[in-house]
Amino acid sequence: MTLPELDPVIHAQARLRVVATLNALPEGDQIAFPSLKDLLAMTAGNLSVHLTKLEDAGYVEITKTHKGRTPVTYVALTRRGRLAFEEYTVAIRALIGGEA
Amino acid sequence: MDDEDLSPAEMMRLIEEQSAAATRRLQPDPLLLYAPWGVAWMAGFGTFFLAHGLDGRPLAPISWQLALAVLMGGQLLAGAFLFWCARASGLKTRGVTTQRGMMYGYAWFVAMMAMGLILSRFAPMIPRDEVSLLYAAVSMLVVATLYMAGGAVWREWPMFFLGVWTAVVDAAGAALGPGWHALLISLLVGGAFLVTGIVLRRRR
Repeated sequence: MTLPELDPVIHAQARLRVVATLNALPEGDQIAFPSLKDLLAMTAGNLSVHLTKLEDAGYVEITKTHKGRTPVTYVALTRRGRLAFEEYTVAIRALIGGEA
Repeated sequence: MDDEDLSPAEMMRLIEEQSAAATRRLQPDPLLLYAPWGVAWMAGFGTFFLAHGLDGRPLAPISWQLALAVLMGGQLLAGAFLFWCARASGLKTRGVTTQRGMMYGYAWFVAMMAMGLILSRFAPMIPRDEVSLLYAAVSMLVVATLYMAGGAVWREWPMFFLGVWTAVVDAAGAALGPGWHALLISLLVGGAFLVTGIVLRRRR
């Protein structure tokens, strides 16, 4: 049997956690960067690095805006990101099934 | 931190744990959502019942002004508590959910204000004894309707059924009179909100 290929962008513990968290957000919602950082208990620098990789892959959309004078960054999974996460979950399930 | 060594089973567990943790933080705590209203109505309508009795003879020396103060104060406290909890959760999101919540919040405010204005025209025309029932019954009808609508908006069956239940008890109580209405709302509606909050929290 051929093993399903795992998406290398998602197949890293930290990014998988980021994507799983963003996937819990209802479609059409964005979460502020500090809130996401808080949910994941990651450092801002670490989270930024992973978000950039996810953004480059087209999985995450980052919106920079202002509230008054303070810049606020919002993060959301793109449709493609949601799909990739779904496919990744299916692949992982298949692998677990294959192991048993 | 890029541990590529995790087994598929471990990755799956990571997905499940992280999704569950995020969902728990993103969704409001049902206990805080329902229980404060339950307590406010149990206390408020309970006091009203004691002040009025079933047949108009008070069961306790409580003025209707005091009963009204307990009811309004309790609702105000419940609302303030809910608002405070929403802010303290600390997670900032924007988009569909926020807009939905905002419109729903404004719907409460507008409906209650309009109700107050409409009823204030009719209040002087009906016996004093019935005025408090008119306000109580119509305001609980607004509550019932908005809970049914909220259930539809968020596809939350418990919320929808609480609305249905409130409408049924409200209508039955209004038919029976002021004392009965206060007693039934206090026990059956206040109690239902409290129990729903506790049960949903436990299931989480």
